[in-house]
Amino acid sequence: MNFRHTFFLFVVLTVQSVFSQNTITGTVTSQNGDPIPGATIIIEDSNIGVQTDFDGNFTINASANDTLIVRYLGFIEERVYVASDKSSYNVILKEDINQLGEVVVVGYGTQKKEVLTSSVAQIDGEELAEESVLNATQALQGKAAGVQVIASDAPGQASRVVIRGLGTVQGGRDPLFVVDGVLTDNINNINTSDIESINVLKDAASLAIYGNRGANGVVIVTTKKGRTEKVQIKFNTYTGVRDILSTVEMANSEQFVIYSNEAARRDLQNDNDPSNDNDFSNFIPTNQAFNTNWLDEITQLGLIQDYYLSLSTGSENIKAFFSAGFNEERGILLNNDFNRLTVRSNVDYKINNKLDFSHKVGIQLATGTPQSFGLFTSAYKQAPIIPARMDDGTFGSSIAINNVANPLIDATNAFKREKNKFFKVQGAFQFDYEIYKDLSFTSRFSIETEYGRFYNFRNRLGRFLADNPSNTESSFEGGVDNPARTRLTVTHTNTYRWFVDNYFTYNKSFFENHNVNVTIGITAEENRSEFLSATRNNVPLSDNLNFNLNNGDQDDTQSNSGAISVTDRLYSYLARINYDYKGKYLLGGSFRRDGSSRFQPGSQFGNFYAVSAGWVVTKEDFFDDTVFDVLKFRGSFGQLGNQNVPFNIVTATTGSGGFYAFGPNQDLQQGITITGTVQEDLSWEVTEETNIGLEYKLFDFRLSGEVDVYRRVNTNAILEIELPDVIGFDPFNSAVGEVENKGIEFSLNWSDKLSEDFSYSIGGNFSFNENEISKVTNPFFSEQIGGFINNGEYTKKIAVGQPLGSFFLYEVEGIDESGDFVYRDNNNNGTIDEGDRKFFDSYLPKYYASLNLSVNFKNFDFSTDIFGNFGNKIYNGKKAQRFGNENIELSTFNNRFTSGRPSNTTPRAFNDVPISSDYYLESGDFVRINNMTLGYTLPEGALKYFDNIRVYASARNPIIWKRFSGFTPELPGDPLGGAGIELDAYPTLRSFYIGLNTSF
Amino acid sequence: MKKLQHTKIWVLVSTIIGIATLQSCSEDFIDVESNQETESALTSDRAPELVNAVYNSLLVWEVSSFAWTGITSIASDDADKGSIPSDTGVDKHLLDALDITPTLISVGDVWRGHYDAIQRANQAINRIEQFDDMDPDLQDRLLGEAKFLRALFYFRLVQTYGGVPIITNINSLDDITGDVLSRATREETYAFIEQDLTDAIESLPEKSEYPILELGRATKGAAKTLLAKVSMYQEKWEEVRRLTDEVIASGEYGLTPNYEDIWKEGSENNIESIFEIQSRGDDPAAGVDKYSTIQGARGEGGWGWGFNTPSQDLDNAYEDGDTRRDATIMFAGETLFDGRVISINAPNPRYNQKAYSSALTEAEVTGKNVRILRYAEVLLMNAEAASVIGGDVSSPLNQIRERAGLEQTSATSQVAVWDERRLEMAFEHDRYFDLVRQGRAPEVLNSKGIPFQSGKHEVFPIPQEQIDLSGGVLTQNPGY
Repeated sequence: MNFRHTFFLFVVLTVQSVFSQNTITGTVTSQNGDPIPGATIIIEDSNIGVQTDFDGNFTINASANDTLIVRYLGFIEERVYVASDKSSYNVILKEDINQLGEVVVVGYGTQKKEVLTSSVAQIDGEELAEESVLNATQALQGKAAGVQVIASDAPGQASRVVIRGLGTVQGGRDPLFVVDGVLTDNINNINTSDIESINVLKDAASLAIYGNRGANGVVIVTTKKGRTEKVQIKFNTYTGVRDILSTVEMANSEQFVIYSNEAARRDLQNDNDPSNDNDFSNFIPTNQAFNTNWLDEITQLGLIQDYYLSLSTGSENIKAFFSAGFNEERGILLNNDFNRLTVRSNVDYKINNKLDFSHKVGIQLATGTPQSFGLFTSAYKQAPIIPARMDDGTFGSSIAINNVANPLIDATNAFKREKNKFFKVQGAFQFDYEIYKDLSFTSRFSIETEYGRFYNFRNRLGRFLADNPSNTESSFEGGVDNPARTRLTVTHTNTYRWFVDNYFTYNKSFFENHNVNVTIGITAEENRSEFLSATRNNVPLSDNLNFNLNNGDQDDTQSNSGAISVTDRLYSYLARINYDYKGKYLLGGSFRRDGSSRFQPGSQFGNFYAVSAGWVVTKEDFFDDTVFDVLKFRGSFGQLGNQNVPFNIVTATTGSGGFYAFGPNQDLQQGITITGTVQEDLSWEVTEETNIGLEYKLFDFRLSGEVDVYRRVNTNAILEIELPDVIGFDPFNSAVGEVENKGIEFSLNWSDKLSEDFSYSIGGNFSFNENEISKVTNPFFSEQIGGFINNGEYTKKIAVGQPLGSFFLYEVEGIDESGDFVYRDNNNNGTIDEGDRKFFDSYLPKYYASLNLSVNFKNFDFSTDIFGNFGNKIYNGKKAQRFGNENIELSTFNNRFTSGRPSNTTPRAFNDVPISSDYYLESGDFVRINNMTLGYTLPEGALKYFDNIRVYASARNPIIWKRFSGFTPELPGDPLGGAGIELDAYPTLRSFYIGLNTSF
Repeated sequence: MKKLQHTKIWVLVSTIIGIATLQSCSEDFIDVESNQETESALTSDRAPELVNAVYNSLLVWEVSSFAWTGITSIASDDADKGSIPSDTGVDKHLLDALDITPTLISVGDVWRGHYDAIQRANQAINRIEQFDDMDPDLQDRLLGEAKFLRALFYFRLVQTYGGVPIITNINSLDDITGDVLSRATREETYAFIEQDLTDAIESLPEKSEYPILELGRATKGAAKTLLAKVSMYQEKWEEVRRLTDEVIASGEYGLTPNYEDIWKEGSENNIESIFEIQSRGDDPAAGVDKYSTIQGARGEGGWGWGFNTPSQDLDNAYEDGDTRRDATIMFAGETLFDGRVISINAPNPRYNQKAYSSALTEAEVTGKNVRILRYAEVLLMNAEAASVIGGDVSSPLNQIRERAGLEQTSATSQVAVWDERRLEMAFEHDRYFDLVRQGRAPEVLNSKGIPFQSGKHEVFPIPQEQIDLSGGVLTQNPGY
């Protein structure tokens, strides 16, 4: 209540100041004489400002003795003194090739880069538009130190972003994404061409303003604004092809038969049942008729096309930006397609000198036809002697020799149809009111809602008949529960969230040298989600009918379900203050008090803060070095939260967990019980982070970079507690752990313009991160196992002193004289048992680095970047999952132990399920050329109606150097799940594009 | 114009304030009601449901299915592992060979399942005792039911492991203090079970006193029968006789005329039934998890996994004309009472017919009530007590024999009762512990090639993982 009254008073007391002025005109040009449209001209110590028109001209009312500050992104700011006798000025801006922008977008505002005391990485949107990047998260890969992106090339799938290492097991691990003020889970819906800038907040000093959601880092995306006076139309398009970058060579039919028969003969020799002697029924005949390459059967050349159109215009009072983009991908896996339409409208209204209003609205419509990536595993394992299809067109079946389904059945969608549709709207509506000269008030309302529709039709009978030629319609039962020959399931989901942000910004210089920047405000938000799912059996087979729930059985055997989530609300206070003395000594502090409905009353509010300081050495008088242009030290400490942790309520067990039948007719009576307990005051995880950084620019700004050293500790990481069984409670979560990440980040860029025709830049970044569960405070901490590979074997375990996602395996010592694995008896008890497993490294890389180069020569531009990660391990899950009579890799065949040729690396042919061992653990090191783009901009004279035409050719992932023998070393997932395990994984693709960028 | 400008500003300023008002001006905003049932839902009107959830424990995999079958039956001389050689049922081949270690899955499952069930019983008892606004008769009965079930779970634990930790009231982490994890002695455990059953006998109505729709709940007769069995395991023969006499005199129970009928759908909860696990196979199903599937015929024409198969030794033990042989064993090639044929090519020669569910053969959960206590066992206990402390052995024993189609016997020795008990109760989860109770497990089992070691195999090991988790407070049984 008080708060509302306070700002109401501020608004009421505001007075518009009026003063006398002269009209000043001028033009702003770059060093090579090109006019700069959209440059801002501001009168110092006022908020009066204008922008240049398309020809670089401006008109402003200013008094004599005023100073005009002329700014444009990417150029060094220029100051012009207004003399009483001069009313026209030509301003030449020098290109600032070392600086991406003069301001950095931080939470709830912006800050000047030069006085920033926190670690924030910036990526300019223009960089993303130059190459053909499919989605915004993928675009982050290699662009900033400390930001690890585990790429996925599957159609419509987002890559995983990890900022400064993993800090939690049970809690959410993804960074918070902020799109124009909307706090959201991902940025898949954002067209990369709409992005003005991406800012990645990495340290506590920058993250504390996001309090309870800051612990995993924050990625802030700002979309474009209308800019120029003249209507500018841009049209961009590219098209390209994709295929698998690196495949695995499999054994052919002849080799498969030899291997399988060796394995079968070996099984017989171990068989003690004499009746099996001379039983050769398991032996596979040589001279097979087929030699199927299964991967070829289920894949095709991927095709991508992308179209993008934008309109941008601006006048004194209104700036508008509109865009529409369409992207369509035919996946490399058959019937695995994706398309997306994005539409955006961003408009800024200047209502008067005091009040601005803007809205930014983005819409996405996406459609995909999903496929299981398990088909890649089936293709890997299926025997080459099985025909993909028989002569009569039916599918080949391997039922006689193994349990692998013919992957072509699903790949061709012969007995199923699936479609997913998504509709997402994201919008922010913002008022900015200048209450007084240095004080402004921002009020923003934003919403996000996404509808998902999932259609899944299965021809169960058809599939049953295709799986095994001896199956007949009469033998199809589908189990007692599912007497359905076909089945359609339609699921609708909706997520909805809204935010209200109100904050004041105060920006003031005192006594010339003391600069203060204060932000203070309140925010509230609400999140909800729900789903509804309906199933109908025996829906007709014809394509036009089988997504219609109205068809099919009318009885009550179908199951329907739905749920509405508990409303999730936050109410927060935030404050930030930055102070600098002459831009030399910098101090900062930020605070957020978050109240979250996720937690029990009494533990709902948490305070998060950070303090930081900086020293710009180069601004000191004593520092008279011609080499260094900027040298800045900065340090910060703060506390961040992660509220995305499991709920701490025990729900009552009812339904099938409690009911029981009584009476002669066995009528069910309901039951209810509680099967667990909770840590009563379980709340957010608290991460403490210390960061020390150094920023430098040397040699006339040609060399620049940053170095950061950090230590971030999740002081109350939530881990699973497993009480002794006698207590009878389910495992539950408790804040009993400590997860530590320590690291160094380093970036270096050199750029230079040698002549008008030739400029280049070369840069790189390097990150080192060490992760470990450093402490556990509860004796009943469960050393959870994970990384199951669906053959009864697990591969990972959580333990103190080990990094998250560590592999925990048997150790292969060698191959004995009979061709079997010899496992090391690590606990020296004479037998190989569970106690012999040991920890190997984690799938988390210790080092990752990237290198980029760009060259502009005359009208040509060339850019490339290379990304690599090192020091991690990958489990070859598809190879380790092996059941009997499945295909083997050619190298396994060639190197296997045989009686005539002993091997100490590869065992004899076998059909048993192998136990999980380091034999299947491989190095995750790789270096990949991420992107190579060569562009040509048509000379200006050649253009008639166009302002600019650029054509380019681009290759993504053309080359990889990896030590892993599988399809891809980039395997996103959960630390205790599939991360770092190649099983049912989508391969890395290489893509080649040609593209066109035009503006007119 | 100037005027208009001001109006416009005020409109917009009001809008800003409007939006800000949307946001609640207090922190109450984050007080959100849960939309799920939590602990606060457990009010006195749900007291019967708290107890129903204890019965529900009898349906779970760990309590009644694979592990329990393995320990009580496959480990004994009545049954073999069965199934096909390559399917070990995780560790059933090791149970069959008495190659028992503290890391066996079955040993861990039985422990965990029963303590989960005890937790539910404790919860029901402790909460219902606190309710002060419910019908005292119902309250008393429900407490009796829960105590009967808790006694049953502890009895199975003491049979399996010897003395175990007695857990009665743990609600939160703070209650896990001191020696709560340490084992009580065997005697203390039995004393606890006896107290629960004494209370239950006091509280529970007879079978006939229940409303018909409550059929299947624990009764006074069931509590007495279980207490008789618990007493028998402690050789308190006077008690055994007193309790079994009372059950016989109650007139609530009798023998099913045809032995084979006992395990048919239509005979569920019949005159002979004292306590059985109510298993509903029809959707929505509430039956014992895969009980019939595990023990169903395997291979050609089969429907199950083929485990826990009757041994040749058991087959040989039946006298000629004993109708129990065919009622207990399904033979390869046999046509069952419902017309189903067991393939002559089935991988095992015999399967357990007492686990066969005719109507719902292939259901995930069995539709067959699993018989836990029946009148025939009351007669057998009564006869055995008489054989030890004197009295009429013959008449209860001969009731059993007569029903089996056998001639009367004049034998009155304890061994004669034991032999009859084996055949009568084969595959009713009794044999292994019965041999241990009789003290002749080494001689009987060793003679059949089962390497039972005295001083070790009388009980199964405490699960190693649980010993580790307790920090060594739980102690291992001798020999393991």
